[in-house]
Amino acid sequence: MKLQIKYDINTACKVIMQENLDRIGIPYEITGLGEIEIKGILSTGQYTDLEDSIKKYGISIISDPKNGVAQKIKDVIIEMVYLEDKLPSSNISDYIADKMNLSYGYIANVFSEITYTSIGNFIIIQRIEYSKQLIVEGVLSLTEIAWKLNYSSVAHLSNQFKKTTGLTPSAFQRIINKRKDADFKAVQTQQKLSTSN
Amino acid sequence: MNNNALHILLADDDEDDRLFFKEAIDEIKVKTVVTLLNDGVQLMLYLNQPDVVLPNVVFLDLNMPKKGGMQCLKEIRSNSKLKDLSIAIYSTSASEQDIEETFVKGANIYIKKPNDFGELKKILAEVININWQYHTSGLNKENFLLSI
Amino acid sequence: MKRKIVKLSTPYLLTTLILSIFLLVFSAAITYKQFLELTKAEKRVVQSHKVILTAQELLSTVKDAETAQRGYLLTRDTVFLVPYKDAITYSAQIITDFKKLVGNNPEKQKAIDTLDFLIHKRFDIIAASIFKKDIELPLSSADKKSMLSRKDLVDKIRSKTNEIIKNEKMQLKIRESEHSEEVFLSPLTFLYTSLFALSIFIIAFFKIKSDLFHLKMANNQLLINKRLFEHSENISNICNWCWNLEANHLTFSNNIHYMLRCEKYDFKQTVEGFSKFVHPDDQHIITNGVKEALEIHKTAIVYYRVIRKDGVICYFKSESKMIQDNFHKNIMIGVISDISEQHHNNAILEEKLFDLERTNKELLAFNHVASHDLQEPLRKIQNFISRLDANEMESLSENGRTYFSRIKVAANRMQLLIDDLLAFSRTNKAEKVYELKDLNILLKISIQELAQSIEEKYATINTSALPSLNVIPFQIQQLFINIISNAIKYSKANVAPVITISSEIICGKDIIKSSFTSENKLHKITISDNGIGFDEEYAEDIFILFNRLHSDSEYCGTGIGLTICRKILENHNGYITAEGIPNVGSRFNIYLPMTE
Repeated sequence: MKLQIKYDINTACKVIMQENLDRIGIPYEITGLGEIEIKGILSTGQYTDLEDSIKKYGISIISDPKNGVAQKIKDVIIEMVYLEDKLPSSNISDYIADKMNLSYGYIANVFSEITYTSIGNFIIIQRIEYSKQLIVEGVLSLTEIAWKLNYSSVAHLSNQFKKTTGLTPSAFQRIINKRKDADFKAVQTQQKLSTSN
Repeated sequence: MNNNALHILLADDDEDDRLFFKEAIDEIKVKTVVTLLNDGVQLMLYLNQPDVVLPNVVFLDLNMPKKGGMQCLKEIRSNSKLKDLSIAIYSTSASEQDIEETFVKGANIYIKKPNDFGELKKILAEVININWQYHTSGLNKENFLLSI
Repeated sequence: MKRKIVKLSTPYLLTTLILSIFLLVFSAAITYKQFLELTKAEKRVVQSHKVILTAQELLSTVKDAETAQRGYLLTRDTVFLVPYKDAITYSAQIITDFKKLVGNNPEKQKAIDTLDFLIHKRFDIIAASIFKKDIELPLSSADKKSMLSRKDLVDKIRSKTNEIIKNEKMQLKIRESEHSEEVFLSPLTFLYTSLFALSIFIIAFFKIKSDLFHLKMANNQLLINKRLFEHSENISNICNWCWNLEANHLTFSNNIHYMLRCEKYDFKQTVEGFSKFVHPDDQHIITNGVKEALEIHKTAIVYYRVIRKDGVICYFKSESKMIQDNFHKNIMIGVISDISEQHHNNAILEEKLFDLERTNKELLAFNHVASHDLQEPLRKIQNFISRLDANEMESLSENGRTYFSRIKVAANRMQLLIDDLLAFSRTNKAEKVYELKDLNILLKISIQELAQSIEEKYATINTSALPSLNVIPFQIQQLFINIISNAIKYSKANVAPVITISSEIICGKDIIKSSFTSENKLHKITISDNGIGFDEEYAEDIFILFNRLHSDSEYCGTGIGLTICRKILENHNGYITAEGIPNVGSRFNIYLPMTE
């Protein structure tokens, strides 16, 4: 049987951090997306313990402040894309710079230094990523997805999709569907084998 | 792309192609460790080593003797240890249908071997970059499809 | 010819026969009755005559008696007593006969009785007078009285007899007239009866004649049909056979002799006789077939070889069937045909097919060479060219650099050609899987594929609704891509290409210069552009493989794209034509059959 799940990364990460911090017994306060204020002092042992236990979730503690800046920019962008804020068509970078209270030039540099890609490119990647998710969900039509992601038209979305992935959205959908079918069939044969055994 | 080098693996039976690949990767400004293998059998042996450090990206030629790319793809995807590897099919041109088929069978990336060295560099840089983005930004690896 | 129904059915004949017999018997009966009547009338006349005669005879007898009496009285000679006694006896007999003769007529009987009484009285008197002794003259008054009364009696007798005679004569007259009537009628009746019988015979004759005529005609037709049949058997190299299973009677039509190239005496019309000609290795087929037919009464088709009398081996096909004849007997009928020619042709076809398949395999192998093996070295050449271009150009002389750039151009051209050739062969080779697809969706996908060049050239594409058809989706996409990319490529300099796509339904025979002559309806999809157009005289040439209207330096291309389009339409039972006006634009008309 197949389950379709939707997940909210931010909540998931928050809960993981809370659980682990609670387990280790570290008093804390979550002050923002990807930001936790540790009350008191963290021993090296505790730090390593925390680091190790959250590593398997793909969560790491950012050491470099630049990492923090880059991470914050990422979070802002993700929020913009996924939480349906109207993407200000121009001035995205200005918008982010304002939000973070830093100059645009600075954040642009830090971002590309840390992530090896531009802010603009990252935004595109995120949007295309979200559209992939929506296509896989299969609930919304391509037009609705384009509207939801603030593209001026379906053609615009398709173009950007193709430029980014090399595939048209329909080809992408086709492949995902065929994959699902193949997986389903594999599970079926496995079930058959197990029941016959 | 942090201070750790990127592990890249290529399985291709053609000597010249391995040469191009290595030179192109070397010219990209990214720290990499490249392993070159000659065919599918060698590839699977390498990946199934008990203490192996799994590569960040596996580049796989389709037409190899002894064991071809599609067979390797199938084996990798059905191996619980290896199934999360990023796999890029690196092959001579194929029809749209065949390209889609490799994606359906589990490849993440399809690269048409280019005719131009500069093009190859660009492509490899793009692939490494995108892979890195997927790795660092919590993007869904299952939807990672790229056709270049 | 008009077939008169020759009714030979038994009930019909029986009815006619019975009716005729009845009529004839009836008329015979009438005739017979007539004759009876005649005889009767005759008899009655004769009887009357007899009565008269008898009466007269009686009178004469009485007179004889009287005469005898007188004679005796006169001569007293006993010789006269003999006739006298005779007369008495005779008259008694006559009376008896008379009575008998007169029959059941009470009047007449009474008359005879009266006469009889009178006669007896007379005889008594005569007897008395005879036995009286002498007569003494003169007669006494008593004697006179008795004489008078004797005379009276005699008169009475006479008159009575005359009365009887008169009555009888009257009756005779009537009877005679009746008789003559009968005499008149009888031959007439006989004549009519004969005529009637004769007419029946004549009708029967004509009917039989006409029926015979029709039978003859039918027979003639049958004969012609038989000839035709035999002739057609001869031409088509078949023969038929008929097997009465119960009687085990098997007959073949004549053509078997020709088919086996033997004489009539060579061929015995039995299963064994036929089997003699069957190829030894195929004997079992015949035996099994016969067995099956007998046991299961199955309709069968068998193939076997036969060795003709002239030694040539032929391939025969036998097809048989069980039927029932008019007597509800099981009859097996069959047809044997000489399929040697078809067999031979089949063998040739199979050989050709084998050759074709082999050629196809070779072509596919060539395809593989082109697709992979040719590509590989070319790609490497290009890669090394790009490496040299990037790093080693400084080491070359001026000439070297020129040559090198020429090498680059040539390699690129080769790449293009191989790519397009591959696309062309793919339209041939691909498995033809047809799906019902909305062409609008396929068009959208094709436009997406060309997104880049559309953007670069600021091209506009205006589409109207396209139908949904049974197509090979990838090929139709390729079709759209090829035509639209052409429209973009061959656009006027500095004029943004505008491409219009529309669709309509038309009638097949409206298309000129095509093989569509039917009344079938088709879809016509038109793709027109405002590009550089072309001269109408090249409208067919542009679809020819490798044919181009421009050099490579003007417009880059391989001359394969439109050929691919035509091939794709062929795969869909469709057609494509092109129209162009130089410097105005071009129009491509795609015709696709309607999907049921």
